Amino acid sequence: MLQFAEWLQATPFSVAIQSAGWAIPLIQSVHIVMIGIVFVSVLMISLRVLELVRVEQTFSDVWRRFAPWIWSALVVMAATGLLLVIAEPIREFTSLSFWVKMALIVVGVAATVVFRRSFAPAALTRHHDFEFSAGAKVGAVAMLGLWIAIIFLGRAIAYDVEVWGSLSLAAGTR
Amino acid sequence: MDLIGLVQQIEASPIGEWMRTSVKAMPVVESVHVLAIAVVFGTILIVDARLLGLLDKRRSYGVVSGELLPWTWAAFVVAAVTGFLMFTANATTYYDNTPFRLKMLAIAAAGLNMAVFHLFTGRHTAEWEFAQSAPRGGRIAAGLSIAIWTSVILLGRWIGFTKGYDFEIPEDVDFDFLEISFNSIRELGGAAAARFG
Repeated sequence: MLQFAEWLQATPFSVAIQSAGWAIPLIQSVHIVMIGIVFVSVLMISLRVLELVRVEQTFSDVWRRFAPWIWSALVVMAATGLLLVIAEPIREFTSLSFWVKMALIVVGVAATVVFRRSFAPAALTRHHDFEFSAGAKVGAVAMLGLWIAIIFLGRAIAYDVEVWGSLSLAAGTR
Repeated sequence: MDLIGLVQQIEASPIGEWMRTSVKAMPVVESVHVLAIAVVFGTILIVDARLLGLLDKRRSYGVVSGELLPWTWAAFVVAAVTGFLMFTANATTYYDNTPFRLKMLAIAAAGLNMAVFHLFTGRHTAEWEFAQSAPRGGRIAAGLSIAIWTSVILLGRWIGFTKGYDFEIPEDVDFDFLEISFNSIRELGGAAAARFG
């Protein structure tokens, strides 16, 4: 894996991103803008279940309003994330936060899809007169927690040894 | 007291000392900062999209903004507090950093844009809040808001690549690698200074 990272980091494309000083901050900024879109979209869907926003709309309406933003922003995040990995593969691959983050993204996407599918038809189409079950509310909070963890792990990539200590794959190499 | 004196005092304060020496403080504070920015930016984007008549056209502007702005403000306070904590760690370096200064200016511009909106278009929301989009003044404010907040994020990320770090270099460090990153930091600083300075 480290050999692959070293090879990747030496490819012309990787070197081009590394040597253009503006590239990494710009790519990271696009990544952060997308974090805002994904996280607030998940937040709105969760707050709807908690009956804190858009109570006059059905869950279906709220889902249709925000889900396309989640999926399209996630595609942009995957693309910008991939560019960041190509630019600094050794930094990412030796970071435990990076691997935990990747695993949690898979869990987060799956959980979001399952969350949507777990609702009975009545929950999808009614509004004022309908209250979500305690289970649905716990699920909404858990889904938010999952995406918050993903954001934290993203920032933690830059501080892998500080955060994970000897568990960090970079421990000893830095 | 002059501003630079205050900045020096902030850096020398126990909070600044704690931010510099605590191993876990910086990653945690930075993560909360990113989370808060995500909420500020994302909620403002929804309100701006409503003003522009792009989304939520069937909901009134009053409902859309009334529901979201408390979240925006709460997250902004969190972003400001965590941002200040990061500032205390290397206050004098940030004070001299061009992207940092530009970011503070951009935040002030966002506040000014908001104030102008509330003074003019926002004073007569009853007249247009059910319309497909806001009057031209509101649409301009919304466009400016998206542009300014995006630049706040860009400048914020830029700070991290230009500020220079004052930690001590541990002994068994790969200096070749460091040299590359120091050079790119310096280059970027030069590029930023040439562009904005």
